[in-house]
Amino acid sequence: MAPRVPLFGRVLLIGGAALGMLLVLTLLIPTLRDLGDRPDFPPAAPMADPGPPIASEAGPFRSRPGELAVGPEVERRADAQPRSMEIYRSLRAYPGAPPRIPHGLTEEEFRKNLCNSCHVRGGFAPRFSAYTPVTPHPEYTDCLQCHVPDAMTVGVGIPQLSADVICSQCHVDPDSPPPSLVSIDWSPMEWPELDQRAMEGSPTWIPHTLQLRENCLACHGGPSAVDGIRTTHPERADCRSCHVPVEEAEVFTRPLDGGSP
Amino acid sequence: MTSLDRRSFLKRMAMASAAAAASSLVPGVAFGEELDRYLGDLAGRSDVTWHRTPCRFCGVGCGLLVGIEDGRAVAVRGNPDSPVNRGLACVKGYHSVQALYGQDRLTRARVRRNGSLQEVPIDEALDLVAERLRGTMEEHGKDSVALYGSGQWTIPDGYVASKFFKGGLGTNNLEANARLCMASAVTGFMTTFGMDEPPGCYEDIDHADVFVLWGNNMSEMHPVLFSRMLDQRERRPGVRIIDLATRTTRTSYAADRSLIFAPQADLAIANAICHEIVRRGWADRDFVNRHVTFKRGRTDIGYGLEDDFSFTDSATDASWDDFVRFLDDYTPERAEEISGVPAADIRWLASMYGDPSRKVMSFWCMGLNQHTRGTWVNNLVYNIHLLTGKISTPGNSPFSLTGQPSACGTVREVGTLTNRLPYGTVTNAAHREKAAEIWNIPVENIDPEPTHHTVSMFRALDRGDLRFMWIQVTNPMVTMPHLNRYREGARRDGRFIVVSDVYPTPTTDVADVILPAAMWIEREGLFGNSERRTQHFPKLLDPPGDAMSDTWQLIEVARRMGLGDLFPWSEAEHIDRIWEEYIRFHDAPDHRMAPLSELRERPGIIWPYVDGRETLWRYNTETDPAADPERGRFDFYGNDDHRAWIWLRPYEPPPEWPDDEYPFWLNTGRVLEHWHSGSMTRRIPTLHRAVPRAYVEIHRQDAQEMGIVDGETVRLVSRRGSIELPTRIDHRAQPPRGQVFVPFFDETLLINDLTLDAYCPISAQPDYKKCAVRVERIG
Repeated sequence: MAPRVPLFGRVLLIGGAALGMLLVLTLLIPTLRDLGDRPDFPPAAPMADPGPPIASEAGPFRSRPGELAVGPEVERRADAQPRSMEIYRSLRAYPGAPPRIPHGLTEEEFRKNLCNSCHVRGGFAPRFSAYTPVTPHPEYTDCLQCHVPDAMTVGVGIPQLSADVICSQCHVDPDSPPPSLVSIDWSPMEWPELDQRAMEGSPTWIPHTLQLRENCLACHGGPSAVDGIRTTHPERADCRSCHVPVEEAEVFTRPLDGGSP
Repeated sequence: MTSLDRRSFLKRMAMASAAAAASSLVPGVAFGEELDRYLGDLAGRSDVTWHRTPCRFCGVGCGLLVGIEDGRAVAVRGNPDSPVNRGLACVKGYHSVQALYGQDRLTRARVRRNGSLQEVPIDEALDLVAERLRGTMEEHGKDSVALYGSGQWTIPDGYVASKFFKGGLGTNNLEANARLCMASAVTGFMTTFGMDEPPGCYEDIDHADVFVLWGNNMSEMHPVLFSRMLDQRERRPGVRIIDLATRTTRTSYAADRSLIFAPQADLAIANAICHEIVRRGWADRDFVNRHVTFKRGRTDIGYGLEDDFSFTDSATDASWDDFVRFLDDYTPERAEEISGVPAADIRWLASMYGDPSRKVMSFWCMGLNQHTRGTWVNNLVYNIHLLTGKISTPGNSPFSLTGQPSACGTVREVGTLTNRLPYGTVTNAAHREKAAEIWNIPVENIDPEPTHHTVSMFRALDRGDLRFMWIQVTNPMVTMPHLNRYREGARRDGRFIVVSDVYPTPTTDVADVILPAAMWIEREGLFGNSERRTQHFPKLLDPPGDAMSDTWQLIEVARRMGLGDLFPWSEAEHIDRIWEEYIRFHDAPDHRMAPLSELRERPGIIWPYVDGRETLWRYNTETDPAADPERGRFDFYGNDDHRAWIWLRPYEPPPEWPDDEYPFWLNTGRVLEHWHSGSMTRRIPTLHRAVPRAYVEIHRQDAQEMGIVDGETVRLVSRRGSIELPTRIDHRAQPPRGQVFVPFFDETLLINDLTLDAYCPISAQPDYKKCAVRVERIG
C-alpha cells in the first residue's frame, strides 16, 4: 500500500516536504556546481525537478544520509557501543512503530527540537560512545510529535543505551511496575524474520512497509546500522533493483485452458 | 553539505570503492567477491556446481552463474568474470531459475479435441502439426502458413526457423515479436549507417561524461547498466545523468535532471538540439565534411492503420545548407511549444551534446522504438551524434538498447523477419544466392518478395488469408496492440494455431496444439545481446516430461514434411553443426563470429571477431578491421558512399490525440519485477508477490478532480476496448497531468485491448505508448 498520511498530517506533510525540498536543494546545489554547467547556458530549473517527490522512489537516490553513515570503509570504533537488534526492538512497541527516545534530553534539546542536528548527519557521538542512528525522513522536523522521551529523563541529559539500563530507569525492581504505569494486555505483531530470501545467495526481500522508511541507507547503511541488517554494498544506491517488497502472500496460478477472456 | 565536504566525500567514496575492488577498478567485482564470501559454504559444497550462462531475461545479457545440485538449479550468482555485469544482477536475474519450476509447467503435448485440450504423446502432436502445415499449404497456397517467433529464440532456433520456412517451404511468412520492440531500431541503423546494431558497446559507460536517456526508464528496465552508470557518477565527479521522458519514474529521481516532454515531441526536441548545435557553431564541420551525407525522405507518411496500407521511403540528396534551413523550423522556443520542455533546458541539453570536452552517451529503448515515427526519431538521435562527431570512440556512443535476450542475436543477426535472410535480405539477389549455396537448395526456393510484418500477419489471420500459425516463445494474445481484434481473429473457424511454450498463457488458450518447450538451460543455445556480444550456454538440466527445444521441434516437423535433408544432424551434435553453418553467412571482417569452441570458454564475445580480437568500436579505423584507414579516422562502410547519413526528418503528430471524449494519453510499459507478458516472472514467488497485479497510474490532481482515491477501481475506455483496474497514485512513478500509465504484464488485465495498432510505416513497429483513453469512475 501507498504511504498514506492522516488528514491532520497533510499540512505537516506539505510543510515538511517543502522543507525537505529545500534541504535536498541545499545538498545538491554544490553538486551541480561541481559538475559545471556552462555559465552561458544555465538550465531553467535549478535541479532535477520530478514534481512532488514520491518518497519511496526518491529516497535512496536523493536524501543520502550523513556522509559518515555510509560507505563500506567506515569501520566502527572499537570503543563504540554496538547497536543490537534486541535494543532496536526494545525501543519500538511493534514493528514499524516510531522508536522512543532512549537517551536523556537537555531542556534546550527538548524545547528546540534539535534532534536533526545529530540524526540527519549521523556519525560517532562521543557523548554516547555510540554511532548516531540516521533518520530516514529528515524532511520531518517536529520529531517529538512521534518520538517521545521518557518523561523522567528530560532535563537529565544522561545517555543510556543498554536495554538493562533503559529498563532500570523506571523499573527499580525489575519485577514491579513503576507506580504510575498501568500494565496492558497487549502483544505486538511478530517481528519479521531477518534474511528472508528465495534461495541461498539471492537478494533478501523487504519484509516491512516503506512508509516513512523510504531511504534504505538510513537504517541499513553505515556504522550506526543495527547489527544483522547492515548492508555490505551501500554504494549501489538503486536498492530496489534487487530487493523488492512483499505486497501479497499469494503465488500466481491459472487454469490450463480458458483462463483468458 | 558544503562543496568541499562533497568533494572529499566523493573522493573518499571513490577510494573506498577502489580499495574494495582490490585487484581491479571495474565496478561490481567487489560485489561478486562479497557474494562469494557470503556463499562460501554453498560455493565450496561439493554437491553444488556452478555453471556460466547469460540471463534468460532482458537484452542486457548479464552473465550468471547457476548453482546446480542433484539435477536442480538451486541458486544464482552474478558472474564476476562477465564484462557485462561484473558480478551484479537484478532481482529478475537473481530469481530467474525459479521460473523453471512453476507448478503448471507444460510437460506434455496437448491437442484440442471437441473444444478441450487433451494430452497426447509428443510424436502424435508433431505428426499433426506437420499434417496440418502440409494440408493448409496444399489447400490455400504456400503463403497461408506462418511461423511467429521471438527475440527469446536462441540463435539456433531462429536459424532453423529461417532455413525451414524460407529455404524449405519457400514462404517469407516468418516474423518474430522483436518486430514489436526493436524494428525501428533496425530501420534507424539501416537508414543511417547501412548496417544494423550499435557502433559502440557497454564499455562506453566507463568513459562517458554525460548520459542522456531518451524515454528510457533504465532503473527498472535495464537495471544493471543503470547501476554501472550510477557507479560511474559516484567515482567520477562531473558525470551526470539526464532523464528525458514522458513520465516521472525511479530513473528520474536518480537522474541529475529530469525533463518531461509531451508524447511524440522527442522529434521536435532532437531537431531543436541540432538547431542549437548548428547555430552556436558546435558542429564538428570537419567530421561532417568527411563522413556525413545529408538525405531527405518522404513526409506525411501515414500510420499503418488500414489493412491494405503500404509504404516505401525514398531518399533524395540534401546539403548542409538544406539541413540548416530545415532546422529553422525547430528553434528551442518552437520545440518548447510542442514539447512543454522550457527552451532554456533544451539549450542546456544542446550545450551538453555540443561541448567538445564532454563525451556523451545516449540510451533509448521502447520510448523511441514503439513510436509511429520510430525510424525517424532513431535517425534524429544519430543526427546529434554525427553533427558533433561524437560516435564510434570510447564514451561517445548513441546506444540502442534491446528488451529481449536475443533480439539482436537471433531476430536481427539471423534475420527472422519477413524481409530478412541471415546477414541479408530476401530482396537482394546476391543474398538469396549466398543463402541458397549455404543451404544447398535451388535459389528459386527463396521468395524474393517479403510478405507480412507482424501486425499485417495477425490481420491476415483475422481476414483468413493466413490459416495456420505456429507461435514459439512468445505470448501475442497478451502483447499484440488492439488485441481484441487479433484474439477474435485467432479464434475464428478454419484457423489452426500451434503454440510452443513453457506455461499455459492466453496464447495457449487459443491453441489447437500445445508443444511443451525446453526452457533456457534445459537445452544448449546461444543468445546475442545489445552490445553485439554472442553468449553460449550449455545444457545444464533435463527438460521436464516431453518438453523439447524449439530448435528440435522445428527439425522434427521439417523431417515429417520431407525436408530432412536440410537438417541432417544428430541431436547430440546439432548445435555445433548449426553454428558452423550459420557463421558462414557472417564470414567477413564486418560481421565475423567467433567459433563455438571459443564461445564455450568465455563469457561472450563481441563481433566482428577478427583474428582473435573483438571489435568494441565499429567504423573507427583504429579499432574496426573492416574500416579502411584510407578514409580517415572513420569509415561508415555500411553505406555505399562510406558515409553516415543525416536525415532531415520533421515533427509529425501521432495518429490519435486526447480529445473531449478521450481526454487522457494512455502509456503502457513494464515494471522492474516483471518481464514482458509475465508468463515466467509471475511464476517466481518473489516477483509476483512484489507486484501481483496491474494498475493504472494517474496524476494526483487529475484523480482529485474526478474524485478518485488511491486504490479505487476505475474503468479505462479507448475507441477499441475497456478495462477495469485499480488506481495507483504516487507510488512507483507518476505520469504527468493528462496521462495514465498501465503495465502490460498482467494477463488478467489486458491493457492491449485498448492500445492502437498504428505503426511506423518504415519499420512496421507499433506504438504502444500513445493512444487516447478516458477514465471513468464506477458506480
